[in-house]
Amino acid sequence: MENIDDLINKLAQDAAPVKQASHPYMLSLKWMGAALAYLVFSLIFSGLRPDIGLKLQQPWFVIEMVMLASIFVATSLSAALLSFPDMHQMRRLVLAPVVTFALFVLVIFLAWQADSPPAPLPVHSFECTISITLVSLLPAVWTFYAMRKFASTHYHWAGSIALLSAFSVGALWLRLHEVNDSIMHVVEWHYLPMIACGILGLWLGKKILKW
Amino acid sequence: MRQSLAGDQRAYAELLRETSRMLRPFLARRLSFESEVEDLLQEILISIHKARHTYDGNRPYKPWVYAIAKFRLQDYLRAHYADQLRHAVEWSELEESLPEHVTETAISYESISAEVQKLPEKQATILQLMHQEGYTAKEVAEKMGMNESAVKVAAHRAYKILRSKLER
Repeated sequence: MENIDDLINKLAQDAAPVKQASHPYMLSLKWMGAALAYLVFSLIFSGLRPDIGLKLQQPWFVIEMVMLASIFVATSLSAALLSFPDMHQMRRLVLAPVVTFALFVLVIFLAWQADSPPAPLPVHSFECTISITLVSLLPAVWTFYAMRKFASTHYHWAGSIALLSAFSVGALWLRLHEVNDSIMHVVEWHYLPMIACGILGLWLGKKILKW
Repeated sequence: MRQSLAGDQRAYAELLRETSRMLRPFLARRLSFESEVEDLLQEILISIHKARHTYDGNRPYKPWVYAIAKFRLQDYLRAHYADQLRHAVEWSELEESLPEHVTETAISYESISAEVQKLPEKQATILQLMHQEGYTAKEVAEKMGMNESAVKVAAHRAYKILRSKLER
């Protein structure tokens, strides 16, 4: 008991006023704002796909982009909540990415069904995965760096969701940059690697966010 | 907690004391030794101190504290069991280090029967009746016209002789 009292006294002496962490909504808004600026900058730098005007008139493409953006918003919010030990007592909201992912899978399935006759496969393949990874690196580093300042008690999930959030930025960028209409190619080289990165995030979260 | 976050050291010390009083039974129910409870409680208090900026004064304090306590408890138990597994001895290794196979023996049924035949006639008959034909000591006594305790004594002496011969 003496040890505990000693420790409490020591901690109390060390208790300088601390700045309270931002609310998770504000935190996620900050991350989303930074990521959006980065996305716009990347698109200005790399260029929008030349047929973007035409694509924006195709409902499945628009729905796909909206769903990808929803994944980005949901994962950003979830990652911000997961940065707090008690998830800011908003457990249900943490599960928002599950709902958006389920809807996204449904949209991709329906887009695939509607892709008749199927659009020709592009000549390239893994180059897309590499491009998405490279573009996602900066948002990933930024998000992990920001999350380390907090105290996640679910670091595996926090890592996974943070990486998914970063990769959704990369995926969004490539869909708006690359002239490609093959849904098969997009699933195989854009979205499946994105999910694989989410799985990698489980491990990365433990390595980076453990405190 | 709000006062503590503003730098009020007395309020903070009181809060930590109250928190440790609250968490002690929670940990004691989940750990076997008092020393473990003490160690983990200290670790939790340090974690609370490190993460105090993540507490939102507009929300209840207990869920925040218990989230940290559970997290540290799980970490502790994971490390504890991982440590136990690291120090566990493989059964195959243990088998190799044993001096001999304890379940195997050089004594066979035939060798015992041969030794029984070498016993004095009365003792050999008693053992045959009891162990080969399944009679009880009372039934053997009736069959051989002896009393029950004499049968038991004779059987006991026969066992002793057999043991000494077979152990050689």
